[in-house]
Amino acid sequence: MVGQELMRAGNLHKTYRKNAVCTPVLLGVDFEVNQGEFLSIVGPSGCGKSTLIHLLGTLDKPDQGEVYFRNQRIDNLPSSQRDHLRNREFGFIFQFYHLLPELTTLENVLMPLMIRHSTLGWLTARWRAIKKAKDLLGKVGLGHRMNHLPKELSGGELQRTAIARALIGDPALLFADEPTGNLDESTGNGIFDTLRGLNQIDGVTIIMVTHNLDIASTTHRTIRLAAGQVESAEPAPARVHPWVFDPRNEGPLRQTGG
Amino acid sequence: MFKVLLCWKYLRTRFLALACIVSVMLGVATLIVVNSVMGGFSTKLKERLHGLLSDIVLEAYDYDGFTDVEGKLARINADPFLKQEIVAMTPTLEIFAMLQFNFRDAPFTRPVRLIGIEPEGRKAVGGFAEHLVNPLNRKRPSFEMTEEAKERFLIKRAARGVDFPGPKAFVNPNEPPPPDPPPSRPHDPQGIILGYAIGHFRDRNAPAEVVNKDVRTLEPGDEVIITTVSGARLAPVYDRFIVTDYFKSEMSEYDSNYVFLPLEHLQKLRTMEDRVTSIQIRLRDFDQAPKVVEKLKAMFADAPLEVQTWEQKQGAILAAIRVEKGILNVLLFLIIAVAGFGILAIFSMIVVEKTRDIGILKALGASNRAILAIFLGYGLLLGLVGAGFGTLMGLELTWHLNDIEKFISKITGQDIFPRDVYYFDKIPTDIQPMGVLLVNLGSIGIAVLFSLLPALRAAMLHPVRALRFE
Repeated sequence: MVGQELMRAGNLHKTYRKNAVCTPVLLGVDFEVNQGEFLSIVGPSGCGKSTLIHLLGTLDKPDQGEVYFRNQRIDNLPSSQRDHLRNREFGFIFQFYHLLPELTTLENVLMPLMIRHSTLGWLTARWRAIKKAKDLLGKVGLGHRMNHLPKELSGGELQRTAIARALIGDPALLFADEPTGNLDESTGNGIFDTLRGLNQIDGVTIIMVTHNLDIASTTHRTIRLAAGQVESAEPAPARVHPWVFDPRNEGPLRQTGG
Repeated sequence: MFKVLLCWKYLRTRFLALACIVSVMLGVATLIVVNSVMGGFSTKLKERLHGLLSDIVLEAYDYDGFTDVEGKLARINADPFLKQEIVAMTPTLEIFAMLQFNFRDAPFTRPVRLIGIEPEGRKAVGGFAEHLVNPLNRKRPSFEMTEEAKERFLIKRAARGVDFPGPKAFVNPNEPPPPDPPPSRPHDPQGIILGYAIGHFRDRNAPAEVVNKDVRTLEPGDEVIITTVSGARLAPVYDRFIVTDYFKSEMSEYDSNYVFLPLEHLQKLRTMEDRVTSIQIRLRDFDQAPKVVEKLKAMFADAPLEVQTWEQKQGAILAAIRVEKGILNVLLFLIIAVAGFGILAIFSMIVVEKTRDIGILKALGASNRAILAIFLGYGLLLGLVGAGFGTLMGLELTWHLNDIEKFISKITGQDIFPRDVYYFDKIPTDIQPMGVLLVNLGSIGIAVLFSLLPALRAAMLHPVRALRFE
């Protein structure tokens, strides 16, 4: 079920500058996402999809415009509060997985919680965190790969590890930047099914950048970016019919109710 | 917690970190070995100097010395504090002299320092009897010849027919004639104890298998002539003496200069009656030396006498050792500073290599301060591990320094530690725990300091640029 507004961005501008060369990327993007919504952002390469994700996820600051999360402006927060938001409220899934190569699958998944807790706090929260990480890894089908290093995993396994890592902190909002872009179609579909399941079963709000229009078409809503602006967008639905996701056979998906 | 985990993982997986550890390790090991050897030399030198010199010396400013020795000793003994603190006192008469002898039919002349002593008194003060070569003399020092020496003396005298020919009398018409020589009737010369290096030299060309490379120039029983000056008039006087024993303190300055003879004989030779140049004093507790010196200074304020502890007397050499050690430490710390620059370079490379990981950590919510802590902690860990291994290596090298020296000498054929310079049988070492601790703290500090710049750079990385880094 889609609920109240979770995030809103207004008139976002971003220009990259190198020496005297300015490259405008976003030229006034307006945007909102509701609680429980699965939103996809599509558009040609270089249109500013990833930049938009970075601005929304407080990884970067807009030159102009505002970003609100739960009706609180977040783009101008001090660095420590933005770190706090990224650690507790947001989860990130990247196209190239971005796992830490020295750490095992389990350690990678635990990393957000390790960052969250002090050394002393970690000692008390450790066993609960490990149990949760193991559960999550089991849920994404990696229960048997917990002590493997990233170099020992396949692309799909790497991305599922990244998904488990993004979920361990119970984020309110998941940013997925082309999560299937580096995978073959079958594996990509598997990853997308996992995300869809998270949205439908666990109610995780997801903003996903993708080039795959077929996948985008099955999300609640799609925003098309072109030349730094929103070219077309469906209005945020007042209510979305829930997807029913059967993790036992991972599809086919079916829409119920109406 | 993730900082500790990442530091540990980086330490275990980064081959480059090994270079940092090795550079810190070598620096620390070098500092420990050099400091231990310097400390060993310094301690040994101090021990020997203190062993040779009495705790306190009460001495005249000139070679004419001072009179009324018994009265002065009585005055000192009359003071309750001094009587309690002073264990032994003995008068000494010191003067420069020339020593002549024949070796392999060639005449040799050496400048020496004549020291007139009372053997038992000097033994009580210390720094004398324990350095004598003849074991009997160590128990009860005397200037008597051994039976072997006497036999050699008699054989040589019989072979020559006449006594050892002395130098021709120096006659200068413009100068008053020298004082009358000692009685000309035949007599057995007085025995003397000769500095070991005066009676021996080291044969550098001796085969390697020869253990004792010292060649004797003067055997016990050999005659020498000593020329010095008389007391007040400083006119030349000389006499024949006979070598009875050697003084081997393993301090080349003393062993190559000192000639001991009975105080009374030297006083007679120099026509000084009962005058002496110094009173040597041994204390019960050297910590009381400043108080005793003050008391003695006050007691003899009216007399032209100087009162000094052995440290004050050897102030220049002790200060030189301190300065030398200080400068050497500064220079050696530059080695660790070089290691620090190595850490800076390697850390900068590691930060570049880890740029994307830094971006990932920031995306997951790690603060700039946490990233800074990871790399500073990494520097600290490298410093700790390097310093730890360096300490082990330094201690092992110091403990086996003499074996290593022997091994290198054998391989290269070069005598790395010329024992005749110091007369030390082994390279002396003295490991100071406080020094080792300071070296460790210094090197760990340098490792952290030099990792600060790359760590700051890592902390300041923009998360998006870091994530996009290729």
